Amino acid sequence: MTPLERYLSFLSKLLPAGQREDILRELSEDIQSEMDDKESELGRPLTEPEQLQILKRRGNPLQVAAGYTNNKGTLSFGPQLIGPVLFPFYARVLAFNLGLTFVIIGTVFAALSLSGQPIHVGSLFSNVLLQLFVQLVAVTIIFVLVEKHLSRQPQEWDAKEFEKPLKASIRDRIDKKIQLQMREVSRFDSISVLIASGIALLWIQSLWAKPFLIFGPAASLITFAPVWHRIYLPTVFIMLAAIVRACINLAQPNWVRFRDVAAVVLDATALALIYVLMFAHTWVVPLDATSGAQHIASAVNQWIAIGIWPAAVIALFQAIKSFVRLYKNWRWSGTANG
Amino acid sequence: MTNSQDNNLFENLRLELRRGSLVLAVLACLRSEQYGYTLRKALADRGMEIEEGTLYPLLRRLESQGLLLSEWREADKRNKRFYRLSPLGSEVLEKLLAEWNSIDSSLNEIVKG
Repeated sequence: MTPLERYLSFLSKLLPAGQREDILRELSEDIQSEMDDKESELGRPLTEPEQLQILKRRGNPLQVAAGYTNNKGTLSFGPQLIGPVLFPFYARVLAFNLGLTFVIIGTVFAALSLSGQPIHVGSLFSNVLLQLFVQLVAVTIIFVLVEKHLSRQPQEWDAKEFEKPLKASIRDRIDKKIQLQMREVSRFDSISVLIASGIALLWIQSLWAKPFLIFGPAASLITFAPVWHRIYLPTVFIMLAAIVRACINLAQPNWVRFRDVAAVVLDATALALIYVLMFAHTWVVPLDATSGAQHIASAVNQWIAIGIWPAAVIALFQAIKSFVRLYKNWRWSGTANG
Repeated sequence: MTNSQDNNLFENLRLELRRGSLVLAVLACLRSEQYGYTLRKALADRGMEIEEGTLYPLLRRLESQGLLLSEWREADKRNKRFYRLSPLGSEVLEKLLAEWNSIDSSLNEIVKG
C-alpha cells in the first residue's frame, strides 16, 4: 500500500460523508500529478520518504479536512479554546457522545420502569444533567489540549501512521461517482426504467381488462369513471415512450440530452394527466342503483380524493427535477461548446 | 512590540489582503478550462501561490454558487476534474474586475496624498 493510499484512507474518515468520494478523488489526482511532476524532474520514481515529504507538505489531515466542512464555528471563552479547524470534529464527537448518553440513560430507565421499579422525574432529570455535564467537560478538555498542540506545531504529523487500507467500498463509490459525472446515462438507469415501465404497462392493461384485480369483490358493484377512459391512451403512451427511451439509451448511453428532453416531456405529460384526474372529482361509479353500490363508490371516491394529492406532489417534484437536470446539462454543454 | 510580533502582524494582514483577491485570480484563470493542479501551477507561476487545502474548497464553494462549472474527464490517461467559468461567473468576474480597478485607482490616489 502506497503512502498516498494510506493518507487518503486516513483523510476519508474526516471528510463530510456526502462529498467524501468526490473530494478524495480530486485530492488523489492532485497529489498524483505533483508526484508525476517530481518524477519527471528527477528522471526516476520517487522513493517512499520523498512521497511522504510531498504528503507532509500538505499539512495536517485535520486541517485539510476542516477546509471542506461548512461548519466554521469556534469555541471561545475570552481567548479562543477550539478553532475552526478542530471545531467541526469537536461538534461531531460531542453530538455522538451526547446522543449515546441519552440512549444509554433512556434504556436504563426504561428497563427499570418495565421491571416495576419506581421512577422519579427528578432523579431522571438530574442523571441526564450530570451525564451531559461530564461529557461536555471531558470532550471539551480533550479538544482544547489537541488544539493547543496543533497550534504550536501545525505541520507536525506523521504520514507513516496511516496504515489502514482505503476501503474497497469507498473506492467503488469513487469510481461510480466519476462515471455518473462523465455525463452518460448509466445502464442501471435504463434497465430500471425498462423494467418499471414494462411492469406498469402490464399492470394497467390487466386492470383495464380485469377490474377485479384492484376492486376485489367490490368489482361487481363499482367500475372506473369516464375520466379513466380519457386518460387511458395517454398513460399507455407514456409507458411505451419510457420503454423506447430506455432502449435507445441502452444502445446510446451518451445521448444524455435525448434522455433529459424525453424525461421532461414525459413528466410534464404525466403531470397534465394527474391534473385532469384531480379535477374529475369522481373516479369510480356504481354499477347499479342499489344503496350498497352507491355507498362503496362514495367511500372509494373519498379515499382517492385524499390519495391523489401526494401523487400530484410527487409528479410535480419529478417534473421539476427533470427540468432542472435538462437546464443544467444544457447550460454545461452550451458553455463547453464555446 | 518585538520583531516577531511585528512579523506576525504583517503576515496576518498580508494573508488577509491576498485572501480577498484570490477569488478574482481563480475566476480570471478559469476563463479557460483547467483542472486543479494546472490551475494551482498557473496561479503560482504568476506569483499567486495557493495551498491545495485552500484552493479545492474554494473551487467547490464557487461551483456551488454557480460561478464555475466542472466535469470529470479523462486526460493523460487519468480522470481529472476540469473547471471553467459559468456564464454567471463571467458576468461576476467582469463586475469584480471593474471594482478591483476602481479600488486600485482610489488607493493610488490616497497613497500619493
